[in-house]
Amino acid sequence: MKIEKLLFVTKFEELGFDAVRSLLSLTKADLNHIIFINVIERDRFAMSRVGYRKDEEIRLREEANIRFIDWSENLFEQGLEVGVYIVVGALVSEVIKAAQKEEADLIVIGRSHKGVLEHLYSGSDVTELLRRAATPVLLYKHLSETTISVENPFDRPLLAIDWSPASLRAVEYLKELGDVVSEISLVHVAGEKDLKGTSAMEIQKTRKETRQKLEAICTLFEAQGIDARAHVYIGDPDDEIEKAARDCQATMIVLGSSAKSAWVEKWLGSTPRKYAEESIYPTLLIPPLKM
Amino acid sequence: MGKTVLVVDDDPDVRLFSVTVLEEHGYTPLEAANGEEGLKMIKENKPDLIILDVLMPRQSGIRLYRELKTDKSLKNIQVIILSGIARKTFLRSQKALTEFGGKEVPEPQIYLEKPVEPEVLAAAIEKALS
Repeated sequence: MKIEKLLFVTKFEELGFDAVRSLLSLTKADLNHIIFINVIERDRFAMSRVGYRKDEEIRLREEANIRFIDWSENLFEQGLEVGVYIVVGALVSEVIKAAQKEEADLIVIGRSHKGVLEHLYSGSDVTELLRRAATPVLLYKHLSETTISVENPFDRPLLAIDWSPASLRAVEYLKELGDVVSEISLVHVAGEKDLKGTSAMEIQKTRKETRQKLEAICTLFEAQGIDARAHVYIGDPDDEIEKAARDCQATMIVLGSSAKSAWVEKWLGSTPRKYAEESIYPTLLIPPLKM
Repeated sequence: MGKTVLVVDDDPDVRLFSVTVLEEHGYTPLEAANGEEGLKMIKENKPDLIILDVLMPRQSGIRLYRELKTDKSLKNIQVIILSGIARKTFLRSQKALTEFGGKEVPEPQIYLEKPVEPEVLAAAIEKALS
């Protein structure tokens, strides 16, 4: 699972070229192609009381084109391959269509700045994208929302493991980034009900077993030249993963998911969604292999 | 029948513009919407001239130009670059790709920055094919 081709989704207000720059460390691994996409949402931007405004669409297209030309020139000069899509349509559908057409290895998207009311009426594009995309999605956070360094989000990722196929797929994904990642923190959050038994000995045994499983994965990373550390946290994953990220000075949170049916269910109000939408950390979400 | 000219550009408005200029001057136009499609059409049709955009989905004009100029059977096809990307960037990009281990490729004979007037394009086409 190499990251050779990246699809960068932007409306310009939430993700700019600084975010692109911060991802260029991936060229030390396999990244060689960046595709930009700007979706002009017909109903949100180009409608008015007088109906559909073609002139407005043309203006928005050309604004996007001018920005992308500037960004692309910078990347072309570094020897990267660059492509651009400026399309009118529904954000999620157009992003998925472009990701499939380009066979992208990673989708990068920012969190939109919606108010609570807007969320209630329109739902979240990001959640919808995560539900439908077969490609890993990096949810980038706006600079003003975070105090952490975004010079290279892949520098110190924290991988939250729940032993699901998707979280093990995330291991395969990160293993390819030996030249980009300086250290990985592997975290498993055990729920209080997972601590079987009532004696200290039994509880410590559970911790030890979990730790050993994590150490086995650390060995896989170390074989690829990536330093890895195992951590066991106890409590609610909704809170503990973020705490672990802070403790480990992580630059990004990486989450897999449960099996497909559970994945869909989980998005309706669960840990990955919470991190995607609320965490201050860039969040990389690895979906399970879709059948 | 006039000489065949392939227009490779993802913008349908630009393709329409170029095709109109070509038809008005008696050439036979062909169209492709990206570099990948363009390369396929070049191999199938061996056009006399290619009008090539740079920034496109699937494959950019920079990579397509490089493929053309390093292919023995295609390298003599004339190319006009018609793009919003600056000539300087095009040349720097080719230089970077050569430094990464690629073959050196010649500079494009004619480089036009968008937008371009119809008579300027027509004159460039005539010059490239003369």
